[in-house]
Amino acid sequence: MCEAPILVVGGGPAGASAAASLAEAGLPVLLIEQRDQLGGAIHRLPAPGNASHIWRPARHRRNWARLTARLQAAAGRIETHTQTVFLGVDGQDRFLLDDRSKGLVFTRRLRAAIIAVGAVETIRPFSGWELPGVMTAGGAQVLLKETGRPLEGPILIAGSGPLLPAIAAQLAKAGNPPVAVLERGRPWNAPGALARLALSWAPMSEAATYAATLARSRVPYRCGATVTQAEPDGDGLKVGIRIGEVQEFLHVRHLLIHDGIEPNRTGIPFPEPDADVPVLLAGDGREALGADAAILDGHRAAMQLLTRLGRANRAAASDERGLQRARDFQANLARALHSEPVVPAPETVICRCEGRIYADLATLAEDASAREIRLMGRFGLGACQGRFCGPMIAALRGQPLPVTTPPRWPLRPVSVAALARLTTDETE
Amino acid sequence: MTSYFSWNGNPVAFQPGETIAAALLRAGIIDLGQPLNTPGGRVFCGIGACQGCVVAVADAAPVEACLTPARDGLRLGSLPAVGADHV
Repeated sequence: MCEAPILVVGGGPAGASAAASLAEAGLPVLLIEQRDQLGGAIHRLPAPGNASHIWRPARHRRNWARLTARLQAAAGRIETHTQTVFLGVDGQDRFLLDDRSKGLVFTRRLRAAIIAVGAVETIRPFSGWELPGVMTAGGAQVLLKETGRPLEGPILIAGSGPLLPAIAAQLAKAGNPPVAVLERGRPWNAPGALARLALSWAPMSEAATYAATLARSRVPYRCGATVTQAEPDGDGLKVGIRIGEVQEFLHVRHLLIHDGIEPNRTGIPFPEPDADVPVLLAGDGREALGADAAILDGHRAAMQLLTRLGRANRAAASDERGLQRARDFQANLARALHSEPVVPAPETVICRCEGRIYADLATLAEDASAREIRLMGRFGLGACQGRFCGPMIAALRGQPLPVTTPPRWPLRPVSVAALARLTTDETE
Repeated sequence: MTSYFSWNGNPVAFQPGETIAAALLRAGIIDLGQPLNTPGGRVFCGIGACQGCVVAVADAAPVEACLTPARDGLRLGSLPAVGADHV
């Protein structure tokens, strides 16, 4: 009988690091990735037919080259399935995996699972954020990395965080500089946090490169500036912006929004490191600390698992120190860019899947339970299962929205025919 | 030779390895919904999370356009036209 593998869900930096570390320790690994290539959002590679590579920091290129080399060296113990999505854990505790390239849903007897599905972007809702033409900054960046080709027409970038100048500079280098970058925060009001951020060399030199590119391309970067509304306008969008007390309108084709990231936990099993089949989380999907930390966190999770399985007895102190540095950096960043939440206009869509607006949310009792918000308010009942409205509602109510238990599956669309043909290994 | 898939009955060209989402956006197709279906579908998060770009596939399950490589001859259309006459 073959040794049961450790399932690693997600082929980004955390998953790749965990898979390589486990395989190097001699354990068989089943690595699944939803895309056709490993890399995650951060290391998204150009599509095979695309020769135009966009500019990206050398540090990230080196990190991914190292991870790829480790995966290749341990390839004999890693069974990789691309275009394969994690559907969830069914009532019999089986991890359901959908290999879409084969139209095959399968499950395996597992020794353990490490789930490294990364982060989702958070956004602050405004009237019109749900319209076609509005995209997340991270989504646009993934698209740019793959195609090497910027979105066409005027682009406005708004929200908060270091991703805004990054994607703006990459778009500029690719030939379509955005009309402006609007940062909600006012970092100059938090000089202490800024001073501590300045001590982090790698992200700061990256930021300086982006700033220089934006200056060369004459892209305005405005702080304390927000989008207040968007509406359809010809084949584009009419976007209301507020800079200080001044309200203006811009006509653009694309509006890219982003207000940070948080772990993608919707429908993801709870971590159970001590269960018979241990389940651990790793990377941005456990704690959103960024790409460098995700590599450390994948290794940390692998070591924790190896210790639990009696295959190692060392927690890597260097991983913990690196993660703490990333945590401090993120905390300083959050302080530097902090801005108070704004109550959306009543007609603002909150749950896009079900078309529920802020006025609907406001009619629910202030202490409504997660169940009431879902079943009476119909928030988070739709196809995305609350991945986007969940964090919005939590921010507006000032308290986390409890996740549903047990997590509802399937997490993704799946063909009923493929589900009906579910294959299990014969050892079960 | 350029490859094509069909979107609501119209041919859309794509390059090898490109996702359905990338090809639709390059063709200027930003609104992925039916005319009366508001808000229309759209590419939003780019990582398969928001389900905003889920498109109907003739003879198969719907897929996220942002994750799925385009293939020659695929017949795609707006949701909720699953199994309807979008082919």
